[in-house]
Amino acid sequence: MQDLFAAIREALVLLFSANPELWEIIGISFSVSLQAIIYITPVSLLFAFLLAYGRFKGQRFLISTMHTLLAVPAVVVGLTVYIFLSRNGPLGDLRLLFTQTAMIIGQMILAFPIVVAMSHSVLRISDRVIWETAKTLGASHPKAMLTVMHEVRFGLFAAIVAAFSRIIAEVGSSMMVGGNILHHTRNIPTAIAMETSKGEFAQGIALGLVLLVLALGLNLLLGSARYRLETA
Amino acid sequence: MTGSISFENIEKIYGDRVLLSVDSFTMAPGECALISGDNGSGKTTLLKIASGLLKPEKGIVIKNQISLPWAKAKSRLQRLVVYLHQTPYMFDKSVYDNIAYGLRTAKIPKAQIDEHVWRSLHWGRLDHLTHRNAKLLSGGEKQRVALTRARIIKPGFLILDEPTASMDRRSRQQTYQLVRQLQQEGMSIVVSTHDIEPFFDIIDHHYYLEAGHLHEIDIRSRSQRKKHKTVVTTFQRREN
Repeated sequence: MQDLFAAIREALVLLFSANPELWEIIGISFSVSLQAIIYITPVSLLFAFLLAYGRFKGQRFLISTMHTLLAVPAVVVGLTVYIFLSRNGPLGDLRLLFTQTAMIIGQMILAFPIVVAMSHSVLRISDRVIWETAKTLGASHPKAMLTVMHEVRFGLFAAIVAAFSRIIAEVGSSMMVGGNILHHTRNIPTAIAMETSKGEFAQGIALGLVLLVLALGLNLLLGSARYRLETA
Repeated sequence: MTGSISFENIEKIYGDRVLLSVDSFTMAPGECALISGDNGSGKTTLLKIASGLLKPEKGIVIKNQISLPWAKAKSRLQRLVVYLHQTPYMFDKSVYDNIAYGLRTAKIPKAQIDEHVWRSLHWGRLDHLTHRNAKLLSGGEKQRVALTRARIIKPGFLILDEPTASMDRRSRQQTYQLVRQLQQEGMSIVVSTHDIEPFFDIIDHHYYLEAGHLHEIDIRSRSQRKKHKTVVTTFQRREN
């Protein structure tokens, strides 16, 4: 127990002493995960909207597939991306393996079904009257779609936050396709895994605290935005 | 001016149940038509088809003597007709932004939008609510915002689905007054309501929907006017 407290104290010292190596790892983590979520969000929301509002063959199959993909382990995604990007793989010529781009690709694949499945649930139960009102007031299909999304934006934002929380904390994919290379592809989860295996708990705990603070911050942000709307 | 739009042999089927079977229904420019009928008789279904929001299983739409396939008719109807839901949906924005929605969609310059919206706010007696979130308004205020939001885009036809349902007397009076103003401005209106009497002197046609079948009550001839009044009175009695 004393070891744990000592490790937490050391972690806090590390965090507030502006340790450059630690903050570089945090920076890489945020940079990679933010890029992944920014690139994948528009596509995911559009796909979720089509699944919720469209009528086409194979729709139910696609919805079930998205829900199934939620359960795919990060390491399996990592393995798949690894096979594609490895020297002998179909995309080997791009030489992306063990780069931040590879990590972004892996995290995009992980985030996609989360944003789609959660947004689809939000959009499916949204009031159809929103779409009809927008259409009857002359909105084009894209404009009506954006109007519906604006009306349920807190639900969609929660889906994006959930996906972001998942990818910034995943270790399997980042480790496999990033390689945990210091100054290049070492992010918070891969660093925690490595430090723990070395018995260096302080740095692992410090990085874990960053993830916890991030989760708390995002949820507070979402909660306050909703509160502001309800009391406007 | 927008020409008439006719709907011939319209059928809407849910499962194996024929919900609506209308031989003929016409919306004519500058006229006010009233549709009455019991709950579940198919009023909302007919009005949603007439505004291009619901696809019928059968039937043709005729505009300017040209029969249109549904895909074409749908986009024409959505361009020409504004449909107001029984409980109008207010976007999660200010009253100003709700009213400006249609104009922004039509990509009208900002300065013109501002001028139109302020004039419309005054028309709907909504000046004092301009910056309020429209979602937080009362039922009567929401209906006034919805009417103003529809009027500002100058639709060819305005369809009102039970515009005074579940409203208090004061809100009902304000809504009647605005609908009358719209009719006096020459807007073509189709209104479905149980509350027939207040619209009695502005309507040109009275249709009665019974189990999905539409009958026109000729309100011009003396005997039919009597029948029309009987329908009105029966409804008022049922309402009370």
